[in-house]
Amino acid sequence: MRLITHNMLQCPVKGCSKDNFPLRIEDAEIENADADFNPQFLKRMLDRIAWGALVQTSFSLGVAKLPESPGDPNDDEFLQTLHHVLLETRVKEGRMVCNGCGHVYPIREGIPNMLLQENEV
Amino acid sequence: MDSLSSAELESTHVHSVYEAIAPHFSDTRYKPWPVVERFLNSQPDGSIGADVGCGNGKYLGVNKKLFIAGSDRSFNLSKIAHERGFECLVCDNLKLPYRDDSFDFVLSIAVIHHMASEERRVLALKELVRILKPGGRMLVFVWAMEQHGRRRFDQQDVFVTWNLPKDRYRHPPEKDKPESETVQTTTNNTRSCHVVYDRFYHLFLQGELDRIIELAGGVDIEETGYDRDNWFVISKKRYT
Repeated sequence: MRLITHNMLQCPVKGCSKDNFPLRIEDAEIENADADFNPQFLKRMLDRIAWGALVQTSFSLGVAKLPESPGDPNDDEFLQTLHHVLLETRVKEGRMVCNGCGHVYPIREGIPNMLLQENEV
Repeated sequence: MDSLSSAELESTHVHSVYEAIAPHFSDTRYKPWPVVERFLNSQPDGSIGADVGCGNGKYLGVNKKLFIAGSDRSFNLSKIAHERGFECLVCDNLKLPYRDDSFDFVLSIAVIHHMASEERRVLALKELVRILKPGGRMLVFVWAMEQHGRRRFDQQDVFVTWNLPKDRYRHPPEKDKPESETVQTTTNNTRSCHVVYDRFYHLFLQGELDRIIELAGGVDIEETGYDRDNWFVISKKRYT
C-alpha cells in the first residue's frame, strides 16, 4: 500500500464519524519501490491530498519530515520528497487502527483488508 | 434463489466463486473494453481514481498518467492485481473505506450486476457517488438483459456457470470450497474435466441502470450506451 492510497482511506465502520481519518499505521514493515518522477502529475495531486494527514503519517513512519503546509510546487527538492513519500513508500506488512472506534485493518503482503463483520455494516 | 438472503446469495454465488476461479478468470480478462479505455484516456494527467471491483487490475495500467486505487471483494483477485504491480485493497462496495468527495473519477465495471437486490445495487451506487469529488465522473458497466451475443436469458435474476478446467487450474482445497461446488456435479465432457460454479447475476433492462443511478442521486447522467452485451452510464457528480 502506497501512502497516497492511505491518504484516501477512512474507517468504514457504521456510525464511526469522529477521528475516523487518517488511520494510524502500526507495526509497519516499509519497502521502497522506484516510481517514475512526474512533476506535472505531482502538482495536480497536491490539492487532492489531505495534507495534515500526510505530514502526520510520513513523520510517524519515519519516512520524511514534510512542511506543515504544502511547499512551493515549483521547488524540485520539495517535489522529489513528495514523490518519495506518496508513490515510492509502501507498507508491506502491518496494520491500520482507527483512532475513533479502534477497529483494526490488517495489511498482508502489501494488501490492506478493509472488510467488516456483518454486524459492523 | 428465494430462500437465501441477498447477502447470503452474494457470499455463496459471487464472493466464494471469484475466490475459487480467480486465476482462471484473470487469464480470460486482458483486453480493455474501448469505452473504458476512452474514459480513462479522457481524464486529465495526475487525476486520482478508484476502480471498485478491479478484478485482476486490467484497467489500472491503461493510462500511466493517472493514479488509480484498485479494490476488490476477492482476496485472490486482489493478490493477482498486486502481483502485477498495481495498488489494490480488499473491501466491500457497500461500505467503501474511502473519504467523501475524494476521487476525480470512479470506475465500476461489471460489479453492480452481482448485487442481489435493487436496494443493495442502489446502496453500492450511493457509495460510489459519495467518494467522488463534485464535478468528478463515474463510469458504470453492467450486463444487459438484451444480449446480442450467443447467450439468451428468460429472467433477470440468473445463475451463470463458470467452468473451471480441472487439469489446468488447481481447484481450491476443501476448506475454501464454496457451497456451490458441493451441490454441483463435476461434468466430464469429451475434452477435459471441469468444476462448475454458479455465479449470480442481475441482468439489466434498457434504462434500468439510468433509473437506479438517479435513485442513488447526486449525479447527472451525461452518456448512456450499449456495448458488447452491456449497458453503461457516464455520470457527473453535482456541485450541491
